[in-house]
Amino acid sequence: MATAALPQTGDGAANLGRLTPGQLIWRRFRKHKMAMFGLLAWAGLLLYVTLGSWLFSRGLCAPLGKVVTGEAYANCNDTGLQLQAPSREHPFGTDLIGQDTLARTIYGGQISVTIGILAALMEVIVGTLVGAIAAYYGGWVDSLLMRFTEAMLNIPSLFLLIVTAKFLGGKVPEIHLLGRTLSGSVIVIIVIIGLTSWMYLARIVRANILSLKELDYISASRALGVSDARIIFRHLLPNTIAPIIVSATLGVANAILSEAYVSFLGLGVQPPTASWGNMLENSYNYLERAPWLWIFPGFFILITVLSVNFVGDGLRDALDPRSTRQI
Amino acid sequence: MKRKLYILMSLVVLASMILTACGGAAPATEAPAATEAPEQPAAPAATEEAPAKLKVVTITFPQEPDSLSPFYTGMWFSQITQPFWLRGLWRIDNQGNPVPDIAAEIPSEANGGLTDEGKTITVKLNPDAKWSDGEPLTADDFVFTYEMILSDKNAVSTRYPFDTKVESVTASDPHTLVIKLNEPFAPWLTSIFAGTNTSTPVVPKHILEPVFQKDGTLDNAEWNRAPTVSAGPFVFKEWESGSHLTFVRNDNWFGDKPKVDQIFFRFVPDNAAQMAAIKSGDSDIGVYLGFDELPDVESSGTAVVGTDQGGYVESWFFNFDPKRSHPAMQDVRVRKAIVLATDREKITQDLLHGKTAPVGTFWDATPPFGDPNLKPDPYDPDAAAKLLDEAGWTLGSDGIREKTIDGQVVKLKLRYITNSRDIRKNGVMPVVKQMWAKVGIDVELVNNANDVYFNDYANNGPLYGDFDIAEYSDAPSFPDPDVSHFRCSEIPTPDNPAGGNFQGYCNPELDKLFDQQTTTVNRDERIKIFYQIEKIMHDDVVWAGMWNDTDLWSVNKRLTGVVFSGATCFWNVTDWDIT
Amino acid sequence: MVNYIVRRIAQAIPQLFVISLVLFALMQSFGDPLATMGARLPPRPEDQARLRRQLGLDQPVIVQYAVWLIGNDWMKIDKDGDGIPETSGTRKGVLRGDWGTSLVTKTPAIKVIAERIPNTLLLMVPSEIIIIIVSLLIGVYSAIRQYSLFDNVITAASFVGFSMPVFWLALMLMYTFSVNFKRWGLPYLPTIGMFDPQVGKTPQQIVLHMILPVTTLCIISTAAYSRYVRSSMLEVLSQDYIRTARAKGVRYTGIILRHALKNASLPFVTLIGLDIPFLLAGAVVTESIFAWPGTGRLFVDHTARADFPVLMGILMMIAVAVVVFQILTDVLYSFLDPRIRIE
Repeated sequence: MATAALPQTGDGAANLGRLTPGQLIWRRFRKHKMAMFGLLAWAGLLLYVTLGSWLFSRGLCAPLGKVVTGEAYANCNDTGLQLQAPSREHPFGTDLIGQDTLARTIYGGQISVTIGILAALMEVIVGTLVGAIAAYYGGWVDSLLMRFTEAMLNIPSLFLLIVTAKFLGGKVPEIHLLGRTLSGSVIVIIVIIGLTSWMYLARIVRANILSLKELDYISASRALGVSDARIIFRHLLPNTIAPIIVSATLGVANAILSEAYVSFLGLGVQPPTASWGNMLENSYNYLERAPWLWIFPGFFILITVLSVNFVGDGLRDALDPRSTRQI
Repeated sequence: MKRKLYILMSLVVLASMILTACGGAAPATEAPAATEAPEQPAAPAATEEAPAKLKVVTITFPQEPDSLSPFYTGMWFSQITQPFWLRGLWRIDNQGNPVPDIAAEIPSEANGGLTDEGKTITVKLNPDAKWSDGEPLTADDFVFTYEMILSDKNAVSTRYPFDTKVESVTASDPHTLVIKLNEPFAPWLTSIFAGTNTSTPVVPKHILEPVFQKDGTLDNAEWNRAPTVSAGPFVFKEWESGSHLTFVRNDNWFGDKPKVDQIFFRFVPDNAAQMAAIKSGDSDIGVYLGFDELPDVESSGTAVVGTDQGGYVESWFFNFDPKRSHPAMQDVRVRKAIVLATDREKITQDLLHGKTAPVGTFWDATPPFGDPNLKPDPYDPDAAAKLLDEAGWTLGSDGIREKTIDGQVVKLKLRYITNSRDIRKNGVMPVVKQMWAKVGIDVELVNNANDVYFNDYANNGPLYGDFDIAEYSDAPSFPDPDVSHFRCSEIPTPDNPAGGNFQGYCNPELDKLFDQQTTTVNRDERIKIFYQIEKIMHDDVVWAGMWNDTDLWSVNKRLTGVVFSGATCFWNVTDWDIT
Repeated sequence: MVNYIVRRIAQAIPQLFVISLVLFALMQSFGDPLATMGARLPPRPEDQARLRRQLGLDQPVIVQYAVWLIGNDWMKIDKDGDGIPETSGTRKGVLRGDWGTSLVTKTPAIKVIAERIPNTLLLMVPSEIIIIIVSLLIGVYSAIRQYSLFDNVITAASFVGFSMPVFWLALMLMYTFSVNFKRWGLPYLPTIGMFDPQVGKTPQQIVLHMILPVTTLCIISTAAYSRYVRSSMLEVLSQDYIRTARAKGVRYTGIILRHALKNASLPFVTLIGLDIPFLLAGAVVTESIFAWPGTGRLFVDHTARADFPVLMGILMMIAVAVVVFQILTDVLYSFLDPRIRIE
């Protein structure tokens, strides 16, 4: 690291030959083979669900009598072509109403991945805020928020998902986003998964902030009259960013699996909007007759969740200063 | 010290887990349900090494009955079990003819059973009729049944038709039952004490009257879940919730004797599990199959498909209420165009594998009341487009039709609602959406679970809210054609929230015909009235028929003699045999 | 200590009230239990209106909640619809042990739930035991042999295991070992249910039918827990005192058994302790697929019928169990870990 001639530049502070924290973390992450594989798989998947639509989702839609592309192709149904095994025109086969499974894994992937990311985001925001506020203000605020957190933890998560899905189901109208028409149930799923999985992160953030709160520079800031919000957001949270990032990453995996479960029970994303979860729900009756209906969406869920878990594991190791990995 | 404590604590935790496991395992052999009948406590172990193999018919049920008492259930899955263990005055065979059970003969004008223009029905009961505990089954049991249905202390699931059609039920002697009606009531044969899916048969007075006197209500009677005293070729043995329901041969049954020994209903959670059981031969009779499952059954090699007409037709109901529907719906041309734009033939051919066909009238599944000359309108998208143009809905630049109403451009976007059953949600809806897109109709698809979909007016159910086309499988009071949600008087209002006419359709001419048919006891005349009803409904496009929703069953090849009837599905259970 | 427990219980009680109130309110907008009564067609509107009145479902939510909580045998209700309350209510309310009547089966909600609990425990407890044992074995061995082939294979397999949707795994197992094995003439496992009706409900039958669902549950949870055990062990193994002991020549196995395992399994014990109350909830998806009559399936089935007495019963039972076990676990942990002091 230290070289013979240290660069002597005017501004001085930079370029001392040391690695920044970001670079250090990246180095540790890179050594984690599975995490790198996960990252690549994840990148490949994102490419598949975005650019893949341009490459693979196009073809003749016989009932409409013309060639269509994009989402129109994914939703093009031709009952005469139903339940066909994989072939050249339909590499992943067709489903109950003749829709192309490949195109639907792409568009369904967009939905599932979006749900995963947004639900995880929601979970992170809610969990972090609750944990930080509870820890910072302490007293009855802490008590109240923690009792509320525990109350939510007392209920099995799948039960909670079922109850909230039924409560909100069918109440949100269609939305139009980026050229796609989505069933309102997508919003519902994001909200309910986000609202039912933030509790663990809240506890971790609270624990971390409780210990950080006592540091001298925090007390000093308060004495100087720095606003609470500034202290929380500029000083406390950045130092507890590690578990938040890890939690966010694993939250994506959890959200994608939760969406699959809820859709499988029939309470998730409603047709005709495709999602990997409701593709599995539809395939349930055709397990033997049309295995391509569940093999492909199941496989995509597996790969996505697996790669996210790998990345999360790698991040946890890379971000944790007490990690047991030898660098 | 610390270590010992640690070991102790771990042992406590482990021990408690083991204890709960033991506590959980023990009841396994003794059926934890308190509903087990007192007889044969050693039965579970005994049947394992029974010397002569018992003939047990296994029927898989994708839904578990909520109650076995005819008072407290509306579930088809509960009612179809009744031919085994709780017969009524008569049951209906697969030709639609009544077969006497507790009645000695079917009352008619010829034998003096029907008098006073059909307003008095006198039923002679079979003097040998007995309950399964040997007690004689008399007219007093029927009178008791009637009284219990009307009592305010019992939260019975339905009082039909006793609250509106029947004036009195009396026993002129122990074996003669006299039913007086308010006015001639054509559906009497299948709805009063009959052994059909829609009628309450009879309950044992000698068992339930003491319960009623003690508790003040029959709502919590043990008999509702464990009807150990009943009247049928089989008698209840045990019911383990979530698992199974068993009936065994009733030696005290005076009527037809069964060839098999036990009927075992096994509850499976869903269709896929049922299909697995059918294919592996674990299920003798599969129940409530979907059309898309039929190819699986046929190719299984273990079972064949059975069908019957239960009166159900997959129906489209149009919304006539201008406050709750798209303005286009008020125009009969638009409604007609919607029907013409839907290729119903293709849907039944492809999605339902040609196992059924579109229907032209609401009563095509309730023979002979459907007019055979009224065929479903054939698919004609060009005619549909023309009608829409005529109605003023022209194609917009985005391919969706539009019209300027009161200065505003309104898009032809309709709201299409159905309840849950996969074939609708994942099959019919997207296919119809694409078909309509071809003629420029846009649609929002909404799908609800049954308990939300069928919410009533007071609870703002979807049928009483905003929709344009509502789809679900509907039936009249099969096998009787009577139906009650097309009359003007049945439109729900805040003063009359119990109205069932969610379409808001009001046609005085149609009302007159409906009122007429209820009191027309002569069958041929009644049929003619229905033909007129059907013509009006067709011309005004009140209703459109997607397909004939026949009941679908699977029958294991080892089971012989099974014939299904729409009104009393398992009507000939005593003919069944296992080869 | 006693102070602490009493304080925790005192805090838990209002918490339970709030949970029950929120859940109860949520369930009101579920759907109408009377909407179908399970039938293929909706009931006649007259019948629906009458039943709503007779079952007390026409009351405002807060009144229904109060009746659920404290019963209505101290007031009169209107049973015959004339607007004048004349009959005494019969319900005693949850606080006096009456959990209401199921709107589906018309039997006491407690009975409905109690019938299913043994079945659920039959599935969950053996699963939990196997999960604990196998996770410990795999986790410890992986930690000791870190980076070996075993470790890498197990790690990859674990990740795959807990990334898989449980119903996918369940269905694959069922179709391989039940349907396809039978077709290929191999000894096969039964598909669904707790026992074969032709044979009767014997312990052998039940065990045979338990194999597939238990395997499904175990694979996924073991995958997750073994990772946790492994990372706990690794953390402990890297501690200075372990290194010191090794440097002093203490045998490796001795170290593992006496020091590392004991300390590494403390957080694991906490995890298991917090898991136990959720055993009562069963495994919703697995029970559904294998037609196992447990509480998880009960919850899903009765959600579809909006049977909130039973649903509330299940949820509150679990909530209470969680509170109890949380307190137990905290106390246990404070005994085991001298660094934690209960204030």
